[in-house]
Amino acid sequence: MIEAEGLTKVYGDKTAVGGVSFTVQAGQVTGFLGPNGAGKSTTMRMIMGLDTPTAGTVTVNGVPFARHTAPLREIGALLDAKAVHTSRSAYNHLLAMAATHSIPRNRVHEVIDMTGLAEVARKKVKGFSLGMGQRLGIAAALLGDPQTIILDEPVNGLDPEGVVWVRNLVKYLASEGRTVFLSSHLMSEMALTADHLIVIGRGKIIADAPIKDIITGKGQSRTRVRSDQPDRLMHVLAGTGVSVELQDHELLEVTGLDPRQIARSALDNQVLIYELTPLQASLEEAYMELTKDEVEYHSLITTGAPVPAQSGGN
Amino acid sequence: MSTSTPIQPGPGRAAIRNAASPGPGPSFFRVLNSEFIKFRTLLSTMILLASTAVVMVGFGALSAWGTGQFADRAASDPEAAAAIAAQGGDLAVTVPTSGVAFAQLILGSLGVLLMSSEFTTGMARSTFAAVPKRLPAFVAKLVVVIVSAFALTAVSTYIAGLAAVPILDNFGLKLDLASAQSVKLLLVTSAYVAAVAAIGMALGTLLRNSAGGIMALVGLFFVAPIVFQLIPGDFFEEARKYLPGNTITPMTAVKHVPDTLEAWQAALVLGAWVVAPVVLAIVLLKKRDV
Repeated sequence: MIEAEGLTKVYGDKTAVGGVSFTVQAGQVTGFLGPNGAGKSTTMRMIMGLDTPTAGTVTVNGVPFARHTAPLREIGALLDAKAVHTSRSAYNHLLAMAATHSIPRNRVHEVIDMTGLAEVARKKVKGFSLGMGQRLGIAAALLGDPQTIILDEPVNGLDPEGVVWVRNLVKYLASEGRTVFLSSHLMSEMALTADHLIVIGRGKIIADAPIKDIITGKGQSRTRVRSDQPDRLMHVLAGTGVSVELQDHELLEVTGLDPRQIARSALDNQVLIYELTPLQASLEEAYMELTKDEVEYHSLITTGAPVPAQSGGN
Repeated sequence: MSTSTPIQPGPGRAAIRNAASPGPGPSFFRVLNSEFIKFRTLLSTMILLASTAVVMVGFGALSAWGTGQFADRAASDPEAAAAIAAQGGDLAVTVPTSGVAFAQLILGSLGVLLMSSEFTTGMARSTFAAVPKRLPAFVAKLVVVIVSAFALTAVSTYIAGLAAVPILDNFGLKLDLASAQSVKLLLVTSAYVAAVAAIGMALGTLLRNSAGGIMALVGLFFVAPIVFQLIPGDFFEEARKYLPGNTITPMTAVKHVPDTLEAWQAALVLGAWVVAPVVLAIVLLKKRDV
């Protein structure tokens, strides 16, 4: 279990992580989702004791990482695919890591086989593709057979077979009762892998809920309504917690009311409606919705050529 | 790469393991072993070590030949004879260590690189995730650097001596590698080079940059003495004696030369030059983010 309490990291005048609190439970895959630059990697480095928090605390199984007597046997982490001296072979890298905890040589061979690196283990890491580097990072994370596993963007650069492998691996690890904390900026990947989702944007936690709730919770209350009296319907539906947006001639999008309530109001007020469609947001849409105000960089795409990304104005 | 074994991270050890004692952790000797594995598994390290040995032995042989020529000339040239007399009459004894200026540069740079490369490659994140207290990893690396620099210099000096003996013999000069002065020179020079390597490692830790660390080392050992010599004034002339690169001469002198540091003073000065950056490096290493 990982517990963060008011975790903060400030670089100069820029707040990378702004007082986040969350708990990552054992026995499930917890996704850590956020756009690039949201503070995911910084948070993970603070968990691993590599960056000192400006304020707040984070513990792994109740103890700050640096105070564990055998850190690699408690927590394994892939923080950066190339946290390796690239002139050393993958095997020697793992051997040196294993030596710090007297992890036997056969465990080194085990993790090499497990991650499919057997053919290249004796080669210098310099020549590795990004995907092979990721596999080596995962091998290093698993070396101490840890109870808690932290993976920062593990599917980055992996081929499709590797992506499926990571997905199955993390699910298997969680099913063994381990704590698995996995970051990604890809909502679609999280939808397939995570049981629980912590969404971060601009250093703040935006959502922390089971993935099912995040998919349904955000999308449920949006309904598309067509009526020949849109202005009158807008007036009728207005109320606290309800927003009605006129999207097109006679087309409304209603948030905060379910279709039955909308139909009831229309009937009571003698307004004809000729379409009533509940909109189930996809996870991707829910994510965009959650983070639209929190991303640092927006791209402005007008008709025609894409415009270079501009620094976010809000 | 095309196939991955079905997932089997461990035989469910996580579930059955005793939570109170997860297994051995990073004790100092385990970390030392790890640092030694890291040291011996880099080709670049081995190349630097080999070049040091080649340079030491090569200079020893070259210096033996040059010294022989000089001694020959001394037979007919009273000025050269006087120079030999000033050296205590024994030119041959310094021959095996004549490559030390280059050995200290190479092994000092190696000291820089062994730590700076941790940061430039990102390896430091792996190293300090495994040893989050950081100090044991630093000390272990320092031990590896010091021991390897000392051992390599000592062995290369001895081999250089073995190569020099027959050459000197040609010129009728005797070199006894087992004499007290030869042994003292070998040990003091090796300790000096080990100290330079330790300073290099501290610089690599402080600057986290290979080029910057080596530049700082070269500046301290090669540029500063010249600059101090060029600037007029008693202060710089006096201060010059306290530069780390100028401590080797008093430490290896046969007898004390007036207006220089005593051997023990020079040793203390060199010690201070090692301790100060090492302590600073440890303090900052503990404090800074990796």
